[in-house]
Amino acid sequence: MDRETQLKLLKDMLLARAFEERAAEEYTKGNIAGFLHLYPGEEAVAVGVLNAAGPSDYVVSTYREHVHAMLRGISPDQVMAELFGKKDGCSHGMGGSMHLFDRQKRFMGGYGIVGETFPVATGIAYSIAMKQQPEAVICFFGDGAVNQGTFHESLNMAALWGLPVLFVCENNHYQIGTEIHRHSAVAEVYKRACGYRIPARRIDGMNVLEVYEATGQALQQIYAGTGPQLLEFETYRFRGHSMADPGSYRPKVEVEAFKDQEDPVAIAIRETLPCYPSADEISAAGPDVINKLCSQMDNLGHLDNRQLEALRSEVAQIVDDAVAFALASPEPTLEDAQAYLDCNRQQEVLI
Amino acid sequence: MAEEMFYWQALNRALYQQMEADDSVFLLGEDVGLYGGSYRVSEGLYARFGEWRVRDTPISEGSFTGLGVGAALLGSRPVVEIMTINFALLALDAIINMATKIPFMSGGQFPMPLVVRTPGGVAKQLAAQHSQRLEQTLMNVPGLRIAVPATPQDAWWQLNQAIRSDEPIIVLEHELLYFSKGEVDTQVEAPPMHRARVHRQGADLTIVTYSRMLQVSLQAAEQLSAQGIEATVIDLRSLRPIDWDSCVQSIEQTHRLLVVEEDSSFAGAGAEIIAGLSERCFYLLDEPPKRLAARELPIAYNGTLEAMSIPRPADIVAAATDLCQTKDAI
Amino acid sequence: MKQPITMPALSDTMETGHLHQWLKQPGDAIKKGQAIAEVESDKAVMEIEAFADGYLQGPLAATDADYKIGETIAWLSDTATDTENNEAIPPASEPQTARPQTAPSTETKTAEAAPLLPTVNAAAASQHKSSPYARGLARDLGISLEHIAPSADGIIHGKQVLAAALAPPQPDLKAGPPYRYKLLTPMHRAVADNMSATLQTPTFRVSSLLDLQPLQEYAKANGFSLSLLLARACALAIKKHPLFNAAYTDAGLALRDRVDVSIAVDVPGGLLTPVLRDMAQKPLADLSADWQKLKQKIARRRLQPEDYQGATFYLSNLGTFPAVSRFDAIVPLGACAILALGAAQKNQAEATLSCDHRVVYGAEAGRFFSTLQNIIKQPEGLTDV
Ligand SMILES: Cc1ncc(C[n+]2csc(CCOP(=O)(O)OP(=O)(O)O)c2C)c(N)n1
Ligand SMILES: [Mg+2]
Repeated sequence: MDRETQLKLLKDMLLARAFEERAAEEYTKGNIAGFLHLYPGEEAVAVGVLNAAGPSDYVVSTYREHVHAMLRGISPDQVMAELFGKKDGCSHGMGGSMHLFDRQKRFMGGYGIVGETFPVATGIAYSIAMKQQPEAVICFFGDGAVNQGTFHESLNMAALWGLPVLFVCENNHYQIGTEIHRHSAVAEVYKRACGYRIPARRIDGMNVLEVYEATGQALQQIYAGTGPQLLEFETYRFRGHSMADPGSYRPKVEVEAFKDQEDPVAIAIRETLPCYPSADEISAAGPDVINKLCSQMDNLGHLDNRQLEALRSEVAQIVDDAVAFALASPEPTLEDAQAYLDCNRQQEVLI
Repeated sequence: MAEEMFYWQALNRALYQQMEADDSVFLLGEDVGLYGGSYRVSEGLYARFGEWRVRDTPISEGSFTGLGVGAALLGSRPVVEIMTINFALLALDAIINMATKIPFMSGGQFPMPLVVRTPGGVAKQLAAQHSQRLEQTLMNVPGLRIAVPATPQDAWWQLNQAIRSDEPIIVLEHELLYFSKGEVDTQVEAPPMHRARVHRQGADLTIVTYSRMLQVSLQAAEQLSAQGIEATVIDLRSLRPIDWDSCVQSIEQTHRLLVVEEDSSFAGAGAEIIAGLSERCFYLLDEPPKRLAARELPIAYNGTLEAMSIPRPADIVAAATDLCQTKDAI
Repeated sequence: MKQPITMPALSDTMETGHLHQWLKQPGDAIKKGQAIAEVESDKAVMEIEAFADGYLQGPLAATDADYKIGETIAWLSDTATDTENNEAIPPASEPQTARPQTAPSTETKTAEAAPLLPTVNAAAASQHKSSPYARGLARDLGISLEHIAPSADGIIHGKQVLAAALAPPQPDLKAGPPYRYKLLTPMHRAVADNMSATLQTPTFRVSSLLDLQPLQEYAKANGFSLSLLLARACALAIKKHPLFNAAYTDAGLALRDRVDVSIAVDVPGGLLTPVLRDMAQKPLADLSADWQKLKQKIARRRLQPEDYQGATFYLSNLGTFPAVSRFDAIVPLGACAILALGAAQKNQAEATLSCDHRVVYGAEAGRFFSTLQNIIKQPEGLTDV
């Protein structure tokens, strides 16, 4: 892989981390409310998958989708503004953290009801297939979602009709507080695809380079019209399920085992404490998945400390700007809300 | 005897009491076990009763609610927790097509001691998919009983009664009520499960409400009192059946009716309440009855819009004042 | 033995069947399962089967008509000729399109039901909207909404009906000639209400012939109004008999330390009672000026409540009508007495004092008149006090 791509992946991960940690901070300040599901720890998945994706592919995601949205080209400004519930947010303040949408960018939404992404993605794929376009849909979901009926129903239809969907499981081993062995009879998600004759692989989701490669390969086949595929990425979330969740059901050793051993992030991120580490602590610590990529690049002579620091301050600036943008953006009005509800009303006589 | 506790604690105590008393009572739902429930309602029960009686489920609402139906056919007493009512949409087949219909379709052969507990309503900026109440959907299912406890005391009484009942019952809770506090007397005898409760007596108008809107209505009633309007506030405590008599008795005194609900009004609970009362006491009404409900919009994430979307005390005060305009005029 | 053949249910949604034709005639032998008639359901034309062996018996229901499911359309008997008296096919079902003559018209139905309603058709009689509660109350209390004025929102509410129920009975106008309503002006209503409010006052009347000549002459000579002088005379008499300045209340007699006399004034469409303050103390010239001001205000319709409220004594003078020899007036609330003066005949005018018997007694009224007669004999005394 060329250096430019590696640098891009690194920068994306750094931005993802910085953005999410800042979101946590803004949540504690009261600028963001509701359910806020954060992505630290899992960055390699979205960054690897979506860097491998083509610009015309569609993306359907869950409520843990800020990073996915930004990777599809929605600006951090618009994402942050949406988290703030402001009019300049990508959903104009109606959706919030769990419901980012951008039709132009083919970001088909964050969905809050577990299991909704499957049929929506399958339907988008159906439409693509009817038009015979060389495009694909990337459907993200968690390990907990595979026990929803829609998973099975959608996989069956996608396989039956050869639809261009890439099902991407972000297996972080938890469905809120329930560990995968306690929620799934078969804990290897990729094996479930066999029942539907769907090619599937399990990949280390902490290694962005592997994620990138695997996704690229799968998508090439899907574009060629071979039907759906499933990729399971094993990963881990460092924080609680959402801001409201202390994550205390997970043994601390488990949390730490997932972090890069020589990396002091294990000290910095103490999920069991109700208050999260400050942005300073985290940036001082330097992160795991990110650290992994750094050392990989270092080995190749692709990165030095000076460059890393430059990248860090660049993303910090982007995040600062996003918060400033969000703060300055106006609130939507009731009239706006009504107009969004009626957005599809044509000049029909209704009564 | 009375003890101050949170609403969730009252529910927790009721579960504990029923599980202690009867081995056939068991809980199931997402994160009810090890985690203790998203709103702590089942805290401590997994440790006490073990995994067969407190079952953590996969995210499979349709099937684990249906599983509850199946277990109830054999006389077990499942208490299904659906994390929030928004996910109950996935379990409607089990609730509507199975729970109420199997006892009927079999010609009365089966008990259905199924309790489905779930919180609904607008909480704090959870956005449209997580801010619904579906009482209208559930209310027009014959055979389904719906309790809507608004206070810790009612939560204690009604959950106990629901578990003891052989009929399918939805206990519709509210995210914002779990951490409200109130006196709970666990010894005093419970009133009938579906009887309404009059929280405040006033001669000028009757406010009929339920669930969290009780608190909002009581606040409004205090403000109204300061401006010379005395409201009776009735908490229905149940949406099916509805205690019509208590409402009619109050309207006999006040002749004015205001219904406050958190769900949207179109074909909603308030529509049923007003239709039912118009049929029963049309000739007692001195003003057209009024409904205050959520706007006809999905709930926006934006906090300001969210707050404007459901009735606030000021809205109730304004509506009541309007209703009482002719109260002193001769 | 015979059993009825009824209109069968031939589809899940069918409610009535249209009888097309009979395939058998009365007396025909019929085997179980044989078709006996053709019926059109909401879905298709089908045959009615016999469910037993036997003989078809009449009367047969008329063809080309609709029958409800379960309605008898013919009979099946076990003998060829049935001697039993055939019951007629009951036209029991609700009107069918093909048999309009059996339908009792809805009009007759309501006409029959009408006498059961309360005799007062409350809602229909009023030209105003009324709330259900108002109508319910009116129905229960047997009150017609026709005479009830609506509240400010234009709607008759329960309150107005209750007030009407407590109010005195209304005349039954229906017994008389046709009529229409003229709404009361606010002044008219106020006078009516004030007068009704005095019904509780136990009143007695005492009359006296007064020699008005000195007073008339004095008035003419000095440019005073006769009513004003008379009011002044009354005020001076009251000073001597202060009970006439009192008002009866449940809490006790209200003794007022100033005499405020009101003189009833006839105005178009009503009656006004402007008040002259401090009638016993003020210089007569000032009072005269006050009186002029009040009269101007009346002419310009500018009289304010403070101009006509709070009198302690009243005077009503019909002396300008020669035809009136005497009358008595109603004591308004808040006063003890009112003096009513008829027209003078040969300088003598008959005055009648109506008094609240809870405040004063007859002898007190006698003494009041004696004093008054003395006062008006020397009009000069009216000027300075
Ligand atoms: C139908 C439904 N049931 C329950 C929930 C509540 N809920 C939100 S996220 C979640 C866990 C999902 O776990 P997983 O699919 O592994 O995704 P993760 O959050 O781990 O990324 C649950 C139970 C929901 N949103 N929708
Ligand atoms: Mg998970």
